[in-house]
Amino acid sequence: MSDAMSTLQEKLAQQYRVEQFYYHEAALLDNRQYQQWFALVTEDINYVMPSRVNKMVDNRMRGQEAMISVERELEGSDDMGSPLREEGYAHLFVRVDRAYKANSWAENPPARTRRMVSNVQIRSIDGDRYTVSSNFHMFFARPGSDNFIYSGQRNDTLISVDDSFKIAAREVIMDYANIDVPTLGLLF
Amino acid sequence: MIKISDLVSDDAAYVSRRAWSDAAVYELEKRGVFGKAWLFLGHESQIRNPGDFVQAYMCETPIILARGEDNRIYATINSCSHRGLPVCRADSGNTKRFVCPYHNWSYKVDGTLVTIPQEKMVTVKPDKSLLGLKPVPRLESWRGMIFGSFDDAIEPLEDYLGNMRFYLDAFFERFENGIEFAGAPHRWTINANWKLPMENQLGDVNHGPFLHSAVIPPEANEEIFDVGMSVVPEAGHGATFRLMREGTAKENLAWGMEGMGAILGGSEVQEYLYEIQAKASERVGDIRARMKGLTYGVYPNLSFLWSNTSFKVSHPRGPGKVEYWSWSAIPADAPDSVKKVLRTNYSSFFGPGGILEQEDSEAWMQQFIGSNIDFADDKPYYYGLGMGDEQAHADLPGLVSSTANEYYARAFFQRWRSALETVDQSAIPSFSGGDIALSEVN
Repeated sequence: MSDAMSTLQEKLAQQYRVEQFYYHEAALLDNRQYQQWFALVTEDINYVMPSRVNKMVDNRMRGQEAMISVERELEGSDDMGSPLREEGYAHLFVRVDRAYKANSWAENPPARTRRMVSNVQIRSIDGDRYTVSSNFHMFFARPGSDNFIYSGQRNDTLISVDDSFKIAAREVIMDYANIDVPTLGLLF
Repeated sequence: MIKISDLVSDDAAYVSRRAWSDAAVYELEKRGVFGKAWLFLGHESQIRNPGDFVQAYMCETPIILARGEDNRIYATINSCSHRGLPVCRADSGNTKRFVCPYHNWSYKVDGTLVTIPQEKMVTVKPDKSLLGLKPVPRLESWRGMIFGSFDDAIEPLEDYLGNMRFYLDAFFERFENGIEFAGAPHRWTINANWKLPMENQLGDVNHGPFLHSAVIPPEANEEIFDVGMSVVPEAGHGATFRLMREGTAKENLAWGMEGMGAILGGSEVQEYLYEIQAKASERVGDIRARMKGLTYGVYPNLSFLWSNTSFKVSHPRGPGKVEYWSWSAIPADAPDSVKKVLRTNYSSFFGPGGILEQEDSEAWMQQFIGSNIDFADDKPYYYGLGMGDEQAHADLPGLVSSTANEYYARAFFQRWRSALETVDQSAIPSFSGGDIALSEVN
């Protein structure tokens, strides 16, 4: 087998592993098996959702792609603005724990969700650390309310563990101009 | 014509479902409440330099809040004098000019019209000095908080806040160099009436142990039952806090210590918060140094969540929709590392991704459903809990009671009812078919 072919096979295997992991993760979340999902994150997880602002176009940047870059619109952890979520293991624990209480009123009865994960791109691999971007659409139907579509991108750091992965960092970039969904406090 | 006295009973023990859902009532609110009140626009820290601007709203009217070239603060209506488009399209920024996209009329950030590109092609030149953006008639700030009013004759802001300043200062005056707002506001829409988010923060601490029982630990609720107070400094305003006993340990007293950020944030942020608490007696006096704040409200639609340090405004978008804005407030002179931790005291629990906010939003949406049903107008909502329990207090201005007393809401709705009664319903075009007088232009 040629070198090119073995490289391709290796890449396909890596891609397959990552995609299978995301399908497994989405199934756990859609089936409300949040405790099993929680076992997929590292204890030092960094879970961030930047806020998205409408900035004035900078005339000096005209003609350049940077003028309208997505990055310009984000207020994330490194900025002095106000990200929507900056969470660790403890925050996610509270969210998971809450889901199994009879008095978590916003999820009682629970919403029906369906996640579609796609456009999985492995950006880099450094030893057991994978940097991966993926897109998602999530259908969300809350009883007594309405149906909603969530759309976004996830930029992850995954750690390869045995034949699966753990999530060490996740940045969730939501696609919104006006937040008109019931909550962004879900597990994406 | 709407009979206002049917909306709120004289003692405000009953509030009609229509007060929350009727489109005609909302028209009266625009004129009687939002047209006559001081409305919060933003914080001076958001517009530090000449040319800085942020967007704001006064009810549904879009506002540009800016610092002019002369370093003064201006508020104008964000609508071009030519065809009405918003001329400011960004949330915030710094600029010399706003340019209307349609025909490129351009304005300074203070609203002055600078150029009409078509002018050179016409014989009679328009008088540009008459065609600036419409200024908000009254603009005042207090402790860096900027308010505007559409009512030329409104009382000064400090008088309007009245005794509420005593309670706001219990927070603001702790900080030698004041507070600032972190970044752009979080803005999201909720299918609810604007008054319920307001009522929630004005004094409704008592929903916490019930709606939020999945997250708020019982000890926190016990503390509220034990030393919680609900004060109405002026009808329409409200302040709730725990008046901690003398000798309470700093861990359980200092502002900020009960947020997730501070709990998980380590010694740097905790020492910072203890230092502020150590100076509190000297800065705000003994009794206010023992206040551990919960929620505040300033009539008609500004809230302050002291426990998680967020200012919020409930902007109506019709009777059944709110555009809710919230900012994280942090001490202006804190190190960046501390600011980054303290902002999560807010975002962990509140804002569009907050663990508690999701519960509140759901309750507010469901309340609107209940307010908009048929065949139940003879069952107005009961607001009578704790009727008459409120009393004067030796050290605290206003009327004081336990957090279960709904006096804060009764006082709000009595003020709201009086405000609606001042509106001349026959003068509302959509009610009477009357004309809008063009003679009043300019």
